Amino acid sequence: MRKFLGFALALTVVAAACGGAAPGASDSSSLAPAKDVAPAASITWWHAMSGVNGDALNKIVTGFNSSQSKIKVEAIFQGTYDDLLAKLNTAIASNAAPALVQVYDIGQRYMYDSQQVVPMQAFIDRDKFNTTDFEPAVINYYKYQDKLQSMPFNASTPMLYFNKDAFKEVGLDATKPPVTFTEITEAAKKLTKKDASGATIRFGFGPSIYGWLFEQLRATSGTLYADNGNGRDNRATKVVYNDAAGKAILDWWKAGVDGGYFYNPGIDNDGAANAFNAQKTAMYIESTARLRGHITTVAGKFEIGTGLYPRPDSKPKEGGNIIGGASLYIMKSRPPAEQQAAWEFVKYAMTPAVQGQWQSDTGYYPIVKAAYDTAPSKEWSTKYPQFLTAITAIRESPQNRMTNGAVLGVMPQARQRTQKMIESVLLGQATSQAALDAAVADMNKAIDTYNKANP
Amino acid sequence: MKISVLANYALLIVGSIIVAFPLLLALSYSLMSESEIATFPPPVLPADPTLDNYGKVFATIPIGRYLLNSFVVSTAVVAGQLLTASLAAYAFSFLVFRGRQLLFFLFLSTLMIPWEATIIPNYMTIRTIGWLDTYQGLAVPFMATAFGTFLLRQAFLQIPRELWDAARIDGATTFRFLISTVIPLSRPALGTVAIYGFLSTYNQYFWPLLITNQTLMRTTQVGIAQLRFEETLRWGLVMAGVIMVAVPTLALLVLGQRQLIRGLTAGAVKG
Repeated sequence: MRKFLGFALALTVVAAACGGAAPGASDSSSLAPAKDVAPAASITWWHAMSGVNGDALNKIVTGFNSSQSKIKVEAIFQGTYDDLLAKLNTAIASNAAPALVQVYDIGQRYMYDSQQVVPMQAFIDRDKFNTTDFEPAVINYYKYQDKLQSMPFNASTPMLYFNKDAFKEVGLDATKPPVTFTEITEAAKKLTKKDASGATIRFGFGPSIYGWLFEQLRATSGTLYADNGNGRDNRATKVVYNDAAGKAILDWWKAGVDGGYFYNPGIDNDGAANAFNAQKTAMYIESTARLRGHITTVAGKFEIGTGLYPRPDSKPKEGGNIIGGASLYIMKSRPPAEQQAAWEFVKYAMTPAVQGQWQSDTGYYPIVKAAYDTAPSKEWSTKYPQFLTAITAIRESPQNRMTNGAVLGVMPQARQRTQKMIESVLLGQATSQAALDAAVADMNKAIDTYNKANP
Repeated sequence: MKISVLANYALLIVGSIIVAFPLLLALSYSLMSESEIATFPPPVLPADPTLDNYGKVFATIPIGRYLLNSFVVSTAVVAGQLLTASLAAYAFSFLVFRGRQLLFFLFLSTLMIPWEATIIPNYMTIRTIGWLDTYQGLAVPFMATAFGTFLLRQAFLQIPRELWDAARIDGATTFRFLISTVIPLSRPALGTVAIYGFLSTYNQYFWPLLITNQTLMRTTQVGIAQLRFEETLRWGLVMAGVIMVAVPTLALLVLGQRQLIRGLTAGAVKG
């Protein structure tokens, strides 16, 4: 709910603040040549990383500040992604935005429509910055009309987590975790355990009702979420998930819950994670970024295995996983000198050494492939071999509009709405087709309103 | 007789356990290790209490500084609110002037304006006068309160008009009557305004987040948000932070309550 409120607030603000500004997509020709712009002495970077991840981020900043003497970056924590966005919009309205901001994946279209961003592609083109070694799945997510809008910073994908000990206990092969819907259902049936009174003490599978997971299931089904190439060829005008593939996802999920071998934690990601930690569920699906937290919390009570994300039995070859996380935007309202300084910092953050350290500190993917050859990254992969599953998953995902993922100005609301949709089906309040149609109708209205407000 | 007293106490104990349960559970979780919290069914009491989480809170955020900031700001807001609200309420209840009713309703109507709608203008004002990252920026926008004024006006209206007449006859000035009679008689109401003002300022999240950028100027609620990691929620750590932030306010409430009750009984005896 907070997500939605924060975003609604932000939306109102931008609609009011920058109604008729200049066109958003400026090209490289509008940037002065690098040699003519001396970088500013200090810039501010707003981010949403707290705890361990916040420490890792500050490490990058300290590293950058001591690596050279011209630019000083100041990193400021601004609350959750939603808080940050709300604060950013207030700041934009009074010309107090920082030079560099971290915005979450689903804020992409919104940032573009705000017309407050210098596309990252402009700097890349101007300096002929080499991005060939960048992870394609990651970099493609942040492209609109094949131009990179922002620099991916922290990236993750979802995968299957399973309890290896439980697999062994019921005679399942822990080296071959289930992948297709039917395989997961079959494994979940075996893994479900009841006590003498008939109460279930362990469910086979227990995903949270999380809109992101539904988006990912659309992608592994090889289907679009929104029209116009998931909103990447042109701005999306409607969502399209009320088709046979959408119904198949919901029917599979519902049958598992009704059969008593899928656990339904509700709309509660932490609840689903805790149920897995507590061995109340033997499998679930979540972000790779949770891996380290799981391993720490479980503390050897059982062995955690990871597998590919679920997909339909036909294993559509055009299906794969979408990247999640956040990226860095350079703000247009700052003077060119500050933008230049921000760009210098972005380049530093994308060096393999920094990326390798970032991966081992946080559990996010390195954006640059060469980072995997650095010592911290190698050490990490030895310590957490389960992480390799995730790398394999995104490397094997074909790169197309389906796996690039949807971009919508109203993506946070869309995610909320699909959650309500899934919940209504699992609770038996609506049939899967009726729930899909209702959600699509609501979202199309919201998209229409958004598109009219942001011409 | 005795049985009914026992029954009363039993009922009160059950009631207070229910009311205090979330807080007690937070306390209990703050003393557990992360893997203990994760066991199923969730334990209620820590098998092996540890202060690790508290240590980690200190290591993660400058909680002492945040507490200090919250106290300074909340206290300033309370002082400001008591001053402005009591003066305004006094005018609305005892002074007679043209347009008083209209002005009062205008005052009340500001309660209908959602706080969110004023964020941007407030932010721009504070920014223009250079109060970002300052105590005055955190406190001054909240020093006047329509709700507090309304509450105090209602309390002041309870004071018999005869006292006002008597005071005037004795030669008391308008201001003297406020200081010597109205304020002492309205202690419970003033206490309510003070506690309400303190807690709502102490619990603010978005405004402090918005206008502060330096770590040293941030407040407790922003601090707790920093204990929440984007990908894994560590309940023990968050609960330790919550306890550390909640205890001072609870202490204040207990102390304030005594004041409230004293004020109430004082009024009761006088009839």
